[in-house]
Amino acid sequence: MDAFSFWVAGVMVYVAVAVLVLGLAWRLYQWRRLAASPMRLGIFPKPRGGAKALRIVADTLVFPQAAEVNAPLWLAVFLFHLALLGVFVGHLRLLGRFPEFLEVKMSESAHLAGGTMGIVLVVTLFYFLIRRFKSPSKELSVPEDYLLLILLLGVVVMGDHLRLFAEIPFSAYRQYVASLLALRPEFGPEIAASPYKTALVVHVLLANLLFIYLPFSKLVHFIGAFLTNGIRRS
Amino acid sequence: MKGELKEWQEKLLGVMKGRRNRQLLYYLELCTRCGLCKDACHIYRATGRVEFVPSHRAEILRRLYRRYFSPLGRLIPSLYEARELDERALEDLYEAAYTCTGCRRCMVYCPFGIDITWLLGVEKAMLVAAGKVPEELAMLTDAAIEKGNSIDLYRDLLQEQIKGLEPELRERTGMPGASIPIGRKGARVLYVALAGAHSILPAAIIFNLAGEDWTLSMFESSNYGYFLGDTEKAARVAERIVSEAKALGVEEVVITECGHAYRVMKHLDEVWSKQKFPFRVSSIFEPFARYLKEGRIKVDPDRIAERVTYHDPCQLGRNGGIFEEPRAIIRAIARDFREMNPNREKNWCCGGGGGLVAQPDLEEFRAVTGRLKAEQIAATGAKIVATPCENCRLQLDLLNQRYHLGIQVSAVTDLLVQAAVVEKGQKKAAALG
Ligand code: HEM
Ligand code: SF4
Ligand code: SF4
Repeated sequence: MDAFSFWVAGVMVYVAVAVLVLGLAWRLYQWRRLAASPMRLGIFPKPRGGAKALRIVADTLVFPQAAEVNAPLWLAVFLFHLALLGVFVGHLRLLGRFPEFLEVKMSESAHLAGGTMGIVLVVTLFYFLIRRFKSPSKELSVPEDYLLLILLLGVVVMGDHLRLFAEIPFSAYRQYVASLLALRPEFGPEIAASPYKTALVVHVLLANLLFIYLPFSKLVHFIGAFLTNGIRRS
Repeated sequence: MKGELKEWQEKLLGVMKGRRNRQLLYYLELCTRCGLCKDACHIYRATGRVEFVPSHRAEILRRLYRRYFSPLGRLIPSLYEARELDERALEDLYEAAYTCTGCRRCMVYCPFGIDITWLLGVEKAMLVAAGKVPEELAMLTDAAIEKGNSIDLYRDLLQEQIKGLEPELRERTGMPGASIPIGRKGARVLYVALAGAHSILPAAIIFNLAGEDWTLSMFESSNYGYFLGDTEKAARVAERIVSEAKALGVEEVVITECGHAYRVMKHLDEVWSKQKFPFRVSSIFEPFARYLKEGRIKVDPDRIAERVTYHDPCQLGRNGGIFEEPRAIIRAIARDFREMNPNREKNWCCGGGGGLVAQPDLEEFRAVTGRLKAEQIAATGAKIVATPCENCRLQLDLLNQRYHLGIQVSAVTDLLVQAAVVEKGQKKAAALG
């Protein structure tokens, strides 16, 4: 590994993951150490028992009400998150092999599925970004909103770039992640010799920055959404 | 940084800090500023003005929070457009907090269920501390508290007024013994009306016809302290009724047709005043629907021929939990009942809530922002709009004029009285008014 790769795709990854995990824990602690409101804030009617749990999950994962008032935005948000989930699961393959039949299916469909989700992410992120230059979203937005979208676009564009153009075999990426896990970050010969090595390092760099900022940004809504949606139904 | 703060700023930030709890932090930190809530708010939809986007109303508080409380906001204020607590911010807070009807429709549609009114409650508390509040609301609140302090003065006035109503009550019920008892110890029900005969007589007719063991409260149920956002005063206003109910030893406190009064007594005041009521609180429709079901009052299902629709007051419906009882009553007395679309927790706010009706200089604003409601009513083709909230009724009357709806706005109890069949002497109660 050259020095730049070593620092960015090696050392910085550890730092980023540590900040992500500790930061999220700190955020959760910040919330939970405060007393809950003594007022019941939910709206009526209030579902009970199983119906309530179901409702909270549906509210959080699908937020169907939003589709009623703004279908295009709802669709974009929904597709974006679906693709995000897909990409996340896809990245899990880097950590190790899935059960055999899944592994086969996933590697068969990786190019198409990964490519599609990557495109969905770019398109929806662009839409989110452009939207924020138009009133009333413009007045509503603060620099954090643009910064996050641009950062995400960076990660996703570089990811797509690798997915669609780089001819690096998947096993080489796996080898790299395994070396990270073994605390001896190393690029194998396929990556080291590839003209796409820099693209990979930039992808990892931007992802690191995202991980570092995420716990302190509004993106913690991925945890908070379940909590606030719970309050609405109680 | 603390050293530079003026005394009034310290005080207001102290209020904000005192209001901090888990929910507030979620609501401050999780909003993605997606703007979905704007499409759910009748005020934004009718005006298209950015400052009326629900999350924008709360964004002022959020930016103050970033400036003074959140670590990253203090480090990099520009990331959040964090802002100073200055005169300008107070103006913006005022504009945001006191032009919202508190309907919480935005909360139904936000993907995170963020309660904008909870954030506006903090804004209002800060404005209360700054003494920057709508004059009318403050005056009405203080008058109500004053009434609680000098109740002996009012008792005679009320007695006098009641005396004047009883002859009509006897005639309408055909019951020579019908009465409106005040402050009767040991009664089962304490009925809390609004100021004015229109809120007392119709309910008295039904209570007498049903043979209820009831008494009338000396106090009106409305609570302007709640609209003001001054929870301390609001609790004092409510406490008048609570101590009256305790002194009389009633089982059930029945709140008249009034949205916010029901919500205050049913869901808010026990928390504000840190006590557990020794009585249950119900909306007037709960006993009335019960009387109908048990056959304690008889109604003529054909009495009301015109099409009726029902407007769910926000504080009674999505914020209070009363949806079905009033509908059961209307279905029993009106042949042609048509729901609004959408209805129940998704019903459009009429634009009169939040104490807006009590502020004359907001009349034009209310007329404009009631547009969606007016369209919704027109689409039902109903001639009668029944709704159990005085603020809603005043607002709907305004919309009726401005949008030429040609409707009659009515309290549900008035319709019930109109359809009630008087058993004794087989004399039918005549319509009100
Ligand atoms: C790993 C989990 C998640 C991540 C990383 C994530 C990330 C993001 C990102 C990057 C945005 C775009 C922000 C923008 O437009 O400026 C966003 C928006 C949003 N997310 Fe999530 N999200 C996650 C989970 C969730 C969940 C569980 C919900 C459930 C309610 C949710 C609801 C939303 C909504 C409603 C938006 C608004 C879209 C907008 O801002 O235009 N997200 N999320
Ligand atoms: S819908 Fe909810 S998350 Fe979106 S801007 Fe409004 S309050 Fe914020
Ligand atoms: S509570 Fe009602 S009036 Fe206030 S911002 Fe929300 S939708 Fe608009």
